[in-house]
Amino acid sequence: MKKAFHLLFVIMLCGILVLTGCGKGDSNKSANPGDTSGNKTEAGNKEGASALSPYKITMVYPAGAAKDLQLVQDEMSKYLTEKINATIELKPIEWASWDDKTNLMKVSNEPFDLMFTASWFSYAKDVAKGQYMELDDLMAEYGKDIPGVLGDDFIKGARISGKLYALPTKKEFGQGFGFLLDKKLEDKYGFDINGVKSLEDMEVMFQTIKEKEPGVIPIVSRKFTNIWEAANYDGIVANLSIPRGSTEIKAIDTLEDPKFIDFYKRMHQWSQNGWFDKDILTSDSDQGMNMIKAGKAFAVAQSLKPGKDKEMSINAGVELVQVETAEPFTTTGDAQGAMLGISRTSKDPARAMMFLNMLYTDPVLLNMLDWGIEGKHYVKVSDNVIDYPEGVNADTEGYPNPGGWMFGNQFNSYLWVNEDPGKWEEFQKFNDRSERSIALGFSFDQEPVKSEMASIENVKKEFEDTLRSGAVEPEQLIEKWKAKRKSAGFDRVKAEVDKQLAEWAATQK
Amino acid sequence: MIHLFFWCFTIISLVPFILIFMVSISSEDSILQKGFSLFPNEISFEAYKFLFNDFSEIARAYGVTIIATLIGTVVSLLITALFAYPLSRPSLPFRRTLSFYIFFTMLFGGGLAPWYITYVNMLGIKNTIFSMIIPNLLLSAFNVLLMRSFFSTTIPETVIESATIDGASEITIFFKIVVPLSLPIMATIGLFNTLAYWNDWYNCMLFIDKPDLYNIQYLMTKTLTNIQYLLMKSNSSAQVGELLAKMPRESVRMALAIVGVAPLLFAYPFFQKYYISGITSGAVKG
Repeated sequence: MKKAFHLLFVIMLCGILVLTGCGKGDSNKSANPGDTSGNKTEAGNKEGASALSPYKITMVYPAGAAKDLQLVQDEMSKYLTEKINATIELKPIEWASWDDKTNLMKVSNEPFDLMFTASWFSYAKDVAKGQYMELDDLMAEYGKDIPGVLGDDFIKGARISGKLYALPTKKEFGQGFGFLLDKKLEDKYGFDINGVKSLEDMEVMFQTIKEKEPGVIPIVSRKFTNIWEAANYDGIVANLSIPRGSTEIKAIDTLEDPKFIDFYKRMHQWSQNGWFDKDILTSDSDQGMNMIKAGKAFAVAQSLKPGKDKEMSINAGVELVQVETAEPFTTTGDAQGAMLGISRTSKDPARAMMFLNMLYTDPVLLNMLDWGIEGKHYVKVSDNVIDYPEGVNADTEGYPNPGGWMFGNQFNSYLWVNEDPGKWEEFQKFNDRSERSIALGFSFDQEPVKSEMASIENVKKEFEDTLRSGAVEPEQLIEKWKAKRKSAGFDRVKAEVDKQLAEWAATQK
Repeated sequence: MIHLFFWCFTIISLVPFILIFMVSISSEDSILQKGFSLFPNEISFEAYKFLFNDFSEIARAYGVTIIATLIGTVVSLLITALFAYPLSRPSLPFRRTLSFYIFFTMLFGGGLAPWYITYVNMLGIKNTIFSMIIPNLLLSAFNVLLMRSFFSTTIPETVIESATIDGASEITIFFKIVVPLSLPIMATIGLFNTLAYWNDWYNCMLFIDKPDLYNIQYLMTKTLTNIQYLLMKSNSSAQVGELLAKMPRESVRMALAIVGVAPLLFAYPFFQKYYISGITSGAVKG
């Protein structure tokens, strides 16, 4: 009897294991009832929405859930019903839960149409898993206006092995590198901040502050060192990079690059001069902002774009000015900085693409998504300039901007009264003058060298922070780092990078 | 002497909490200037004003937490007890196998993805209050085993036998005799559960998309973790700096922590009075 029970028990357990194992692929009952089932739209013509059957588009993006989200959603749905007979469901997900939540959504085959993605948000990994649809054909049919708005470089940069899986936001295309300074102190000493400055020019300012303003830290946080790297190298993986201005598609090792080593010698010198804050190992630009606010610091370094100083001034409540130390530089990472992809679980990709097309071309829709409802969340001051309605301020607004840089064509977004009215023209200039990396559009597939990458990352963690903080003599540290990295399998990674770059270069001819 | 030591220990334990409170009533400027301090040099209730300016959000989150905690604690106590009691009775066939079956779930979990799919696709509890009651918390294997051991060690078989002879049914025995005799373990596990439910934000994070159903813990956690997450990503995207600048200020974060933890302070004394030793002495004539 007892034996029989045991046997039964084991069989039951096995059964459960098998069931859970197989149950993953099927049983995709939609988690939200009321979903219109997959009606494929036959009519591709955009004349009149009536030719299309009703469909609900679901868009997933990282943002806090706004109080008036429902109102804005209804308003957008009304507008979309007129245009493409669709309604919309906005699904903002808190930043902190983004990774967990979206991974599970993907694993459980949840139906949704559009999702925010970026190079720093596992875009390449998701593409490898087949989460996002290929968009070229869809775009040719339902998103005809998008290539015209974005331009070739943007689209080229978003491709992975020649195929397009997500559409980038039209925003600043590249990163400038430089510093945000406290305007009060800058005025006081009359520093000249026009044009592009070298790091030596900056040193003069820091020296002045150090000497004449006791109690004010010249520069907070070492976090800018990687921005400097990003402005000078198109980093691929594990310190393998293509130097800016390189004319051949070939990766070098930054740890052996004189320019790189000199920069860190300089950082070491800065540290010796006592220009950094004492929390250098952990402090970040957010802290820097707070210290500037409190009158205890002079500068933080940032990746810059036009009007960044104004934006940060508004947000941080302290007057700042920006100084560029490098012209902007565009790499694949920048091109893939913010994108929207169409999920493979979308029931009507064509409609999702029509919606995307509107985000790039229709200011009315885009501004509803960005700023909410006119008269309730903002009032128009002039054609494309807006302000808070009477009695509303940043603390009480019902629909804070989820992030205009995530959706479509940011150049169609309204500007606030206190912003530079020529902001988008400035952006256009910035984008035009930004230097394109020769490897724009190349993304490295880490899969073949995953295990080596993991150990190299660990080695990197061990040395990187010390190097970046300028606390020790860089040359010896770099030597140690290189030795350790070699035993972690660096040569294999390098070979793989060279191979993939060569393959990619062959397709670019 | 020993008392003195414990008094000091208690005070030291309270310091962080007091610090949080003090920071929450300091003005933002003084925090930036002087850092955190136990004695705010400028008292300001701005942070609380900011929170209570739209109190509906917090009130609703409280409601959600309280409902989930109450229902969850009561139901899970009942289920745990009803499960543990039979296991403690020697007369139950296969009790060892059943106990092992429970123990087995402690050793091997299904992993996150199947777990999530079960709740979302099969039970469909996404965006409902149940998602904060059922997963992970309703039946903890550890608590079942704990209770079983308590029953089998503290409640003498003879008491139950005598009740049976007096004509009591199993259900009567359980509710009239076993439960009253087990108040200490009930209070202990009740407190565990209350704490677990009150402090649970993970389920809320996974299953809830609608802000109306956020619970108070998630409301706090998300504020803090959003900031951490963005700091972590601050190297990879130029946009993150702007996002960070819009995040709530130090004093607001602390005020939120105070608002979230306060009610739990009242739950402790409530359970305190049940921590009395069992009253089995004298029930059995030796």
